[in-house]
Amino acid sequence: MQRDKFYQEIENRTHPNEKLIKTHCSYCGMQCGMHLRVNTATNKIIGVEPRYDWPVTAGKMCPKGVTAYQQTNHKDRLLKPLIRDDASLKGTKKGFREASWDEAYDVIAKNFKQQQEKYGKDSLAVFSGVSMTNEKCYLTGKFARVALGTRYIDYNGRFCMSSAAGGFLRSFGVDRGSTLPWTDIHETDCLFIAGSNTAECHPTSMFRIWNVQERGGYIIVVDPRETPIARRADLHLDLKPGTDLALANGITNLLIQNGYADEDFIKKHTNGFEETKELVKEFTLAYTSEVTGVNQEKIIRAAEIYGKSPNAVVMFARGIEQQHKGVDNVSAYTNMALITGKIGRPKSGVATFTGQGNGQGGREHGQKSDLLPGYRKITNPKHVEEVCHVWGIKQEEMPGPGVSAYEMFELMDQKVIRGLYLLCSNPAVSAPNLNFVRQAMKKLDFMVCSDFYLSESAEFADVVLPAVTWAEDEGTVTNLEGRIIKINKAQEPLGDSKPDWQMQVELAERLGKGKYFSHLKTAKAVAEEFRLASKGGNADYFGATWDKIDRQDGVFWPCKDENDQGTPHMFLDKKFYHPDGRAKICALPYRPPAEEPDDAYPLRLTTGRVVYHYLSGNQTRRIEFLRDMCPEPFVEVHPQTAKIYNIAHEEEVRLFTRRGEGKFKVKITEAIRKDTVFVPYHFGHDESINLLTIAALDPISRMPEFKACAAQMEKL
Amino acid sequence: MKKRLYIELENCIGCRSCLAACTQCGGHEERNRNYVYDVNPLVNRQTMPLMCLHCVNPACARSCPAQAIQVHETGAVLSALVEKCIGCQNCTIACPYGIPKFDTEQNLMYKCDLCIDRTKDGIPPMCASVCPTNTLQWLTDEEIANRKKQFNMDNGKWISSMPYLEGETNVKVNLPGILQGITKLF
Repeated sequence: MQRDKFYQEIENRTHPNEKLIKTHCSYCGMQCGMHLRVNTATNKIIGVEPRYDWPVTAGKMCPKGVTAYQQTNHKDRLLKPLIRDDASLKGTKKGFREASWDEAYDVIAKNFKQQQEKYGKDSLAVFSGVSMTNEKCYLTGKFARVALGTRYIDYNGRFCMSSAAGGFLRSFGVDRGSTLPWTDIHETDCLFIAGSNTAECHPTSMFRIWNVQERGGYIIVVDPRETPIARRADLHLDLKPGTDLALANGITNLLIQNGYADEDFIKKHTNGFEETKELVKEFTLAYTSEVTGVNQEKIIRAAEIYGKSPNAVVMFARGIEQQHKGVDNVSAYTNMALITGKIGRPKSGVATFTGQGNGQGGREHGQKSDLLPGYRKITNPKHVEEVCHVWGIKQEEMPGPGVSAYEMFELMDQKVIRGLYLLCSNPAVSAPNLNFVRQAMKKLDFMVCSDFYLSESAEFADVVLPAVTWAEDEGTVTNLEGRIIKINKAQEPLGDSKPDWQMQVELAERLGKGKYFSHLKTAKAVAEEFRLASKGGNADYFGATWDKIDRQDGVFWPCKDENDQGTPHMFLDKKFYHPDGRAKICALPYRPPAEEPDDAYPLRLTTGRVVYHYLSGNQTRRIEFLRDMCPEPFVEVHPQTAKIYNIAHEEEVRLFTRRGEGKFKVKITEAIRKDTVFVPYHFGHDESINLLTIAALDPISRMPEFKACAAQMEKL
Repeated sequence: MKKRLYIELENCIGCRSCLAACTQCGGHEERNRNYVYDVNPLVNRQTMPLMCLHCVNPACARSCPAQAIQVHETGAVLSALVEKCIGCQNCTIACPYGIPKFDTEQNLMYKCDLCIDRTKDGIPPMCASVCPTNTLQWLTDEEIANRKKQFNMDNGKWISSMPYLEGETNVKVNLPGILQGITKLF
């Protein structure tokens, strides 16, 4: 496989009475290679050792990665199933008692059956996540449709990467998060990075990114905040939150006007150029600057650098995706690559920084309300037939499409959904408009939560099932490049905990659906069925056997058969996945954020992440080192804004929107716009900034607008 | 070939992975031994690591009345020997960079030993192994010389590094400003 200049031949240090297990981190889409140190006497995980020979990250790890191993034998681990008999205690940690697996399964099966008999199959919903292996994600989709027979299944990628998926599908006809491998990143001449706090959220990309500048290349960063990467960038476009679409259209207009369009590429390989050219004319420099708040000179310079670069990569993340026009933002920034022909060759392309560990693989194989394995559509009869064949069910038994993650909470509120099976997710922290979401969860007749800690969401459950951490199971994950990699088991499950796939098989048997599940006795068995189910789909994993993944340092999908080595670079043949083989340049009219500042709420509130925490913080807030570094949320305020509000560094303010409020400590910094305040979202209960955020959904991806809403604050 | 710790201050993003990894070498009692500072906390997000520079003539060792601080043959200035350290804290005062830490409960000084269990066999220390930005690197003298050449900023305004700070050190440091010396591709 690729060995670039960062690859180092270094022998690992193995201590006496220890062995090293080769695996990857449990957290973000980088999926950094690591070794877990296991004590050979106790067979317990005791530490971490770098994996210098992993081609993507060369042994590097962020502080979350270094301390990830501390999750497995943590004192907060759930070791037995928990049952709560007193439903009035829902929404608290109280009232749980330990139970056997038999009792827990009996309670679940009885409640699921009774409820579905009384209110219909679709009264039960599955809410899942993508911080788990492809095998688990695949089986969760099958479990919902075959064992429960419900149409309502969706997952937390709707709060994370679904806009990238929607944008890529529209622009390219296929959704692979990166069109090129990460080992190309440092060799390009210009990185155009929009809405990504890369240094904090994907730190192990940074050694490649800095290297672009060391070679004389350029980094352009688009962000309302001067993040660590923006601080050193050649150009920082400090736009108002929620105005990306105008900026992308404005830059596209300049690229066309100034002769950077690749007419030959446009003519041969794309559709939609003329409409787009017409539409972006409206985005003059003056208009773009006025809408976005970015200085005109900077916009000119950004278009010039990107246009002139022999090779360039357009990259983005949640900043542009978590808007109610996230899909349009993705397609609009992708337009820059399509119009200049900087795609479909090494060192040039488009990539999203996938947030969750398996954000890529987990969205491809049937956890999404409208998708089946292999990126098949549940509304396409041919696709349904192919999957029914693998699952051994009749086509009429396949439930129809459901609704998106946030909309499931609306249905809970309306009592359409009455029961919930929640796994690998913590929506009581990560969903927007939390006052509404939490009361909707409280309304459920029956809720099961599977997790390895008692998360804020588990506090709403009747039954909590103890899952394993990533290091106590094996399977595959697809990283942010689209590279399928292998997670290995380092330790036996702690206490009575079990992997989710095993729970689903055993529960399916209790529900009388054993004949579809009982053959799945190991993670490997699930993997074999899953590869077959993906065969022939756009996201074809059939050729990605565990053996090949090990031999090749991962396999990039699509990988169709035994002889196929996979596809590190997409579109090298300039063939896109739309039926006519052309990519779509999209003409996208601008829409402002759903809620603009006004007299009562004059500030723009944007939310995001810090380097020490992952997603809802359910894991990282329990790790001592990470908690010490960032124990609580804070609100970042520009000193001039702070002066107007008469607040000082570390004083407390009440921050509020039309939906909710919270108390936050002020962090004064010049590294933010004066009209904007920022709060990280990793915290639970009263500390959740999502009590304040708005549930304005993107019409295509159904992604909520976490990144922009109107707020006000007052000194306490 | 002998390698050294090399610090490229411009690259630091303040993730403190070096501190988290410091607890992981197997010989550090899971306590971290170095520092990362916010340079301009109310202004921007600039940060910098402050690592032990492993002085050729270390003030900490010279100031130790009990000779508890030994210098390894690789040049690494080791942590205090438990059986010798008398807890006087002279070293914490003597060190020009404020590196040695003090455990009041154990009455014992502890400091970076450059992961001597690793570096004596040519394996990079934990901090340089994990550093996601290449702020901390483990390089040969030739590689360090090449980097100094690459970032030659002899323009009267910027300097990339001084021969040494307080005294000669085994760890080499490149000061912020490296990008000033880069010729752009276009």
